[in-house]
Amino acid sequence: MGNFHCFYSLTVKALIRDRLVHIFSLVVATVFLLIPVFSMFSMRQVQELSITLCLSAISFILLIFTILSGASSVWRDVEKRYTASILGLPVSRAEFVLGKFSAIAVLIVASAIIMGFVSCLVITLITLRYPADIPVNWLNLFVAVSADALKYVMLLSIALLFSTMSTSFFLPFFASISVYFAGNASQEVFDYVAGEYGTTIPFLSRMIIKCVYYVIPNFAVFNMKVQAIYALPLTPAPIFYAILYFICYTGIMLCLSVWSFNRRELV
Amino acid sequence: MIKKGLFLLLLCSYISLMIPLTAFMKERPVAVKLGYFPEAHALKTVAGDHRYLVAQYAVVKVLFYFGTIVEKAKNMIVVKPEYQNMFKTLQTASKLDPWNADVYYFTQAAFTWELNKIQDVNEMLDYGMKHRTWDYQLPYFAGFNAAYFLKDYGTAAAYMKKAAELSKDQLMTSLASRYLYESGQNEIALQFIEFMQQRTMDRKLINLYEFRKKALIAVISIQKGVNAYVRSRGTPPSRIEDIVAAGFIDRIPEDPYGGTFYLDEKGTVRSTSKFAFGTAPIRWSTE
Repeated sequence: MGNFHCFYSLTVKALIRDRLVHIFSLVVATVFLLIPVFSMFSMRQVQELSITLCLSAISFILLIFTILSGASSVWRDVEKRYTASILGLPVSRAEFVLGKFSAIAVLIVASAIIMGFVSCLVITLITLRYPADIPVNWLNLFVAVSADALKYVMLLSIALLFSTMSTSFFLPFFASISVYFAGNASQEVFDYVAGEYGTTIPFLSRMIIKCVYYVIPNFAVFNMKVQAIYALPLTPAPIFYAILYFICYTGIMLCLSVWSFNRRELV
Repeated sequence: MIKKGLFLLLLCSYISLMIPLTAFMKERPVAVKLGYFPEAHALKTVAGDHRYLVAQYAVVKVLFYFGTIVEKAKNMIVVKPEYQNMFKTLQTASKLDPWNADVYYFTQAAFTWELNKIQDVNEMLDYGMKHRTWDYQLPYFAGFNAAYFLKDYGTAAAYMKKAAELSKDQLMTSLASRYLYESGQNEIALQFIEFMQQRTMDRKLINLYEFRKKALIAVISIQKGVNAYVRSRGTPPSRIEDIVAAGFIDRIPEDPYGGTFYLDEKGTVRSTSKFAFGTAPIRWSTE
């Protein structure tokens, strides 16, 4: 546990040393200051547009943060020969991988909390200026931001897996982005194939698409934005499924990351 | 050993979770909300050379939304569609990419019957004609709208003449001449819907056309009964039930839009649904 904590705090310090917090604060401040201005583009639903923009901004910033920090994490340490010296000590590689993952995951969650809080301020200001027909459902907004945070922690576990396997920055970076887009589209494609259109495509192609659907992540599970934007009723079932799905998929990805890093030749 | 056990446990949990999760996601309630699409001038600035992609995205968004409305109407679930938002989104798309054929095709498909925004649709089609100078379908759509909805046969003939010149199709020429005469309008509408249906592969739009064809076939059959009644009795029927009682039609057909057919003071067949989704009163099944 001691080694794990060391790797965890070292990763946090490294990310802070890289001026990540400064860049993050600057981007968040710029984006969230612009949101009230862009919300004025709608004369019919200013509040809804401001929530949409806040949630999109959170999602986009978390995506950049996850991809950059996750894809470069293990690979960069290998490249700098940091692992060669540190893993010569009596520490397990699992602790190294899990320590890195936990540090970045905690920063992702912390960023989501900060941006969620800033969003609340921005939305409140806009709501005071332009009262809407439907009141903001703050609980739904909290659930939507939390689900987004889970989604990006899950994406981080995938980026980390690619990072443990790769010898360059390109594979984890582009593979993570590809998985992100595929994971966002997988449910739509599955629905499309399962519907009437599916009967027009060959059986083998249909089976391949279904197999891919079960293997790649399904980020639609974490999409609760529309309930937050339009204050629609949100039942516990999708939240329950999202949490279970997150635990299983992230757990599997971490096991594979540890296994992959254990087998890696570092000298 | 513990690591392997943990991995196997997670894998088994994942597999057993995917069965109920897949079923849940399949049956998940679709949020029928189109929402707001930013103004064209703002989008043009932000999207840069990606504005054609943004325009296409707007069309697809409206198409999927409308497809959901049609699906819900099929299951007799009444949802008030966001027609204004749909039209606004398509207008934005036409400004972002005035050459996009989907914009004009879908505007014609969705806003003539349902929203009766004929002037606006024809204005958009006129805008499209300035850019898609080779496309005979746009004047054909505009001609149909002028004749069928606006009863402006002179304008309709001019549009059809343009369509005939562009397509070199005899059908357009004959339609141009037929529009000069106010006769057989519902049959022309049926021909038009079949023309539209042959030019799409989208299941959602095909479903929409099926709705309209069913409604038109029902109207045509009642109208034929009314005409036969007038020829036989010399006076128009006061109610549709009179035609059924006189044996000119077997039964009153169902309105696929969920409304009830009736005769107006001129003896024209109308429906309480106005042949649009979300306008028919909700019918509680108490009988």
